[in-house]
Amino acid sequence: MDTPETPSNSAPDVHQKIGSLTRQLHDALNQLGYADKLRGSAGELPDAQNRLSYIARLTGEAAEKVLGRVEQAKTQHEYIAAETKRVLDALVKDPVATVAKGEIYNHLVDMERVTREADEHLTEIMMAQDFHDLTGQVIARVVTLASTIEQQLVQLLVQTAPAGYTPAAPAPAPQPAEREHLPGPVVDPENTPDVVTDQSQVDDLLASLGF
Amino acid sequence: MADLRFLIVDDFSTMRRIVRNLLKESGFADADEAEDGVAALQKLRNGKFDFVVTDINMPNMNGFQLLAEIKGDEKLKHLPVLMVTAEARKEDIVMAAQNGAAGYIVKPFTKATLEEKVTLILKKMGL
Repeated sequence: MDTPETPSNSAPDVHQKIGSLTRQLHDALNQLGYADKLRGSAGELPDAQNRLSYIARLTGEAAEKVLGRVEQAKTQHEYIAAETKRVLDALVKDPVATVAKGEIYNHLVDMERVTREADEHLTEIMMAQDFHDLTGQVIARVVTLASTIEQQLVQLLVQTAPAGYTPAAPAPAPQPAEREHLPGPVVDPENTPDVVTDQSQVDDLLASLGF
Repeated sequence: MADLRFLIVDDFSTMRRIVRNLLKESGFADADEAEDGVAALQKLRNGKFDFVVTDINMPNMNGFQLLAEIKGDEKLKHLPVLMVTAEARKEDIVMAAQNGAAGYIVKPFTKATLEEKVTLILKKMGL
C-alpha cells in the first residue's frame, strides 16, 4: 500500500509540475503562433479598463444629473401647487380684492416663469440619456475584445488538447453589428493625440480651415 | 422655416429621440428617423427631406459613406448634412468638412449647440 505524501514533501513536486506546464504552454504558444495573437489581445486590456472606467463615470454622471434635475423640478412643482392653492383660497375669500391687488396677474406671471424653468429641467433629463449612445459604443468594443480573447483561448485549447480528447466548444458569443473601425467616444482625452474634447474646439478647427 | 422636414440618422434609438425632441423644441416638428445609412438613403430617395442630421459610427453604412452618397447624387446633393457624432479625431472633422458636411457636432452636446448649428446652416442656405 502506498504511503500518502505529506504536503511538505509534495509542494516542491507541485511547483516543478507547474513550472514544467508553464514552459510547455509557453513553447506551445510560440510553436502555434498564438503568443503574438494573445500578446496583442492582452495589450488591449488596459484600453478595455479605460473604457469600462469611462462607462462607470458617464453612467454615474448621468444618474447624478437626472436626480439633481428631478429634485429641482419637484421643488418647483410643490411651489406651483402651494401658490395656486394660496391664490385660489384668496380668490374664494375675497375675489374683488384679490384681482384688484394684482394677485391673479402676478400668479400667472410667476407660473409662466416656473413652468419654463421646469421645462428646462425636463430637457436636461432627456439630454442626460445620451449616455446610452456613448456607453453603448464603448461596451460594443469591450464585448468584441472579450470575444476575440475567448476565441483565441478556445483555439489554443483545441490545438493543445491531449490525443483523443475533444473539448466542448462554447456557444458562440453574440457579436455586435458589423461596422467600420472607428474609434468612437474618446475615453481618455488627456492621453489621446489629435482629438477635440468639446464643441468649441471643433468650431475653432473648422474656422481655421475656412469652413 | 418650421415646415422643413428633417431626417435623423443614428443607430441608437435613444439618440434619435433626443435629437427629434430637441428639434421639436426648436420649432422643427417635422422629422423622420433612420437607423443607418442604408435606411437613410432609401428614405431620402423615396421622400422629400430638407435637412439631414446624422451620426457617423453606424453599422451597414456609416455617416461618411452616407455623406458621400448624398453628395454624389444629383437629386440629393443640395441637402445640408449635419454630423452629430462621438468621433472626435481632428482628421474626421476635417474629412467631414472637405466632403461637404454642413456642420459637425461632437457628442455629448447641448440643446443650444444643436439649435445654433441648425439655424446657422439654414441661414447660410438662405432659409
